[in-house]
Amino acid sequence: MSQKKEITISPTTRIEGHGKVTVLLDESGNVSDAHFYATEIRGFDYFLRGMEAERLPFIISRICGVCSTAHEIASVKAIESVYGAEITETARKLRELLLMGQIISNHSLVFFFLTLPDFWFSPEEDASRRNIFQIMREKPEVGKKAIALRRFGTDILEVVGKREVHIVSAIPGGLINPLKERERQELLREAENACTITREALSLGKELFDRNWTDFRKAGDYKTYYMALTKDDAMEFYDGKIRVIDPDGETLSEFTVHDYMAHLEEKSHEWTYAKFAYLKALGWPEGIVQVGSTARMNVNSKASTQLADKELQEFRRKFGSPAHATLLFDYARLIDLLYACERAKELLEDEGLRRTDTRVKVKPRGGRGIGVVEAPRGTLAHEYILTRNGRLKSMKLIIPTQVNNAAINLNVKDAAKEFIHHAEIKPGLLNRIEMVIRAYDPCIKCATRATSEGLTVEIRNSEGALLKTL
Amino acid sequence: MEIISGDFEIVYSPTFVDLAEIPSVDLAIVEGGVRTEEDERFIREVRAKCRVLVSLGLCSTHGGITSLGNIFSVKKLLEKQYSLLSPSKLPGLEDLMYPICNFVDVEYYVPGCPPMPLTIVHTLKNIVGGKEPIRHQSVVCTECHRKIVPAKLDHLYGIYEKEADPELCLVSQGFVCLGSVTREGCGAPCPRAGFTCFGCRGPSDALMYRSRDMYAFLVKVISKRTNIPEEKVKEELYRNPFIFHTFTFSRFERFKARERVI
Repeated sequence: MSQKKEITISPTTRIEGHGKVTVLLDESGNVSDAHFYATEIRGFDYFLRGMEAERLPFIISRICGVCSTAHEIASVKAIESVYGAEITETARKLRELLLMGQIISNHSLVFFFLTLPDFWFSPEEDASRRNIFQIMREKPEVGKKAIALRRFGTDILEVVGKREVHIVSAIPGGLINPLKERERQELLREAENACTITREALSLGKELFDRNWTDFRKAGDYKTYYMALTKDDAMEFYDGKIRVIDPDGETLSEFTVHDYMAHLEEKSHEWTYAKFAYLKALGWPEGIVQVGSTARMNVNSKASTQLADKELQEFRRKFGSPAHATLLFDYARLIDLLYACERAKELLEDEGLRRTDTRVKVKPRGGRGIGVVEAPRGTLAHEYILTRNGRLKSMKLIIPTQVNNAAINLNVKDAAKEFIHHAEIKPGLLNRIEMVIRAYDPCIKCATRATSEGLTVEIRNSEGALLKTL
Repeated sequence: MEIISGDFEIVYSPTFVDLAEIPSVDLAIVEGGVRTEEDERFIREVRAKCRVLVSLGLCSTHGGITSLGNIFSVKKLLEKQYSLLSPSKLPGLEDLMYPICNFVDVEYYVPGCPPMPLTIVHTLKNIVGGKEPIRHQSVVCTECHRKIVPAKLDHLYGIYEKEADPELCLVSQGFVCLGSVTREGCGAPCPRAGFTCFGCRGPSDALMYRSRDMYAFLVKVISKRTNIPEEKVKEELYRNPFIFHTFTFSRFERFKARERVI
């Protein structure tokens, strides 16, 4: 008997926020479609209307606890762009340092706590043991290093941002507090250690990666466009232009951040609370584009710091440019991490960082403005329209996970196709789908501005009746 | 994490551990509030499977920033944001966003956006050790180094409008700082950094059940410290939406035990 079926995976574990995967089967029991979707909604875009701009960055950082600093800095930049404010060089450097702190705290969390268990244990390992706590029991020093590295990231946020999560020091016009010499010295000492740990993490990552590479490359290599900030062809998180490259690595377009919204379009689907963003010029689905760690490696031909540049070149040589394999995200994330540690150290070595001219006076005015940064998961844009007296009239946010949403879905579909034939599910489906999703490290809270929830797989027939839960 | 992992075995945590079923546990820590029907089922299941339930973070204890979504009806929220949604495929939404205590009994509340790591560790250690965790009952001002010196001002200031004096109380400089109505326990990092308190720990013990008085109380505090007449303070405050309820806009039904707020 032939029957259409649906398979659902919920909750997806070891990602930030809550998602669900549904696989739709056709009459012969083969995969016809697969959806990765977000199941919650919050509505930030609407309830903040009317809010005074001065309280906006601090509130909007609450979209996400994990990448709150990236949101806050994008928000502050957007308001500055409305006000026409130019910040000082000292403030710019300190903000870049904050952003490096954000990348370090996020990427060390993602690598050690979320994705490392996938590489560390064999897929057959008991699910209840496949986590960082088990790794810490087996090799306590790995746990210690993971925590020390993350500590460096959060210490930057705490010392410069004045709070570990939801920093308060960044305001339109610069930063409230200058960095004290003693604080600079302390962070600098930590930076040395962090660079060492990251180098070790990278060689551990590479070793585990090489061992699994044959399997990994099978897990999807969807060829799409890539987008990231770039400054003179080098990796950049705070400033720069946006460059889009095509699947062959040729530059499709390069534009200033102010034109960002004109180049992207959003669409929604009936089955998810998260929207999809794609390149407007190419339309849907040709304009599917990816952002994040791999995109940063693909778009930029170099990195301004020595070791990260070496690793970037090796990455490009080994996997091609652009590299398409989905699980390369985890590898690329480690190069990001190395860059962030090196760059943080470089910034901290600069004695100019303790200058006290961190703040200029801003004059509120109405208008439209946009702030773009490279957040841990990719290009993040906040666009605000403010009224004459500095209140929010409307806002539009394009979040990395929204941009990657389409590619995640395509990858999930590919993985499902590989494991499901004639309604027979080969073992390992759940783990593979989760690995693909985890590679993107999607932040569902950001994509829906929603609260969190966790991945289940349900198999449903064409009437929607539940047949089986994995 | 290091401190925690010694005393606890973490058996269920979608973020860190691959386990789809919630097992029976001694202690459950829940973050986040209840927005969908699925959340409601989840929180009831957790309650049934744990001995001690700790509500962690302001979304969970008071509704948090997310509860600001309550100014729109669900229908409006969906219409505004999504025109194509098919409700049958997604978990249904509750009419409003609620803190978890509206559905289940909670042993301990640890508010904060985010809660301070030391407070979390201290609370958990004490629960496990069979002791009552130390509670923070007073207001943020008690932890703030700034001196309250009444001033003579004619209007209130936005945080960008002037640079704050590093030693004087922010309210007496004309900034709307919520330190005097917000629960202590955070160590006052925001006012210390020269930024106003936003109230992310929720109201203090004394103000917990008299939210209407909270407004009057703050107006009095501001007026006293700035010498601006109360009427004028009110007028200026009215112009700022959610000045108090940035973090606590939810409807509470069962939040009865302030003795349980850490």
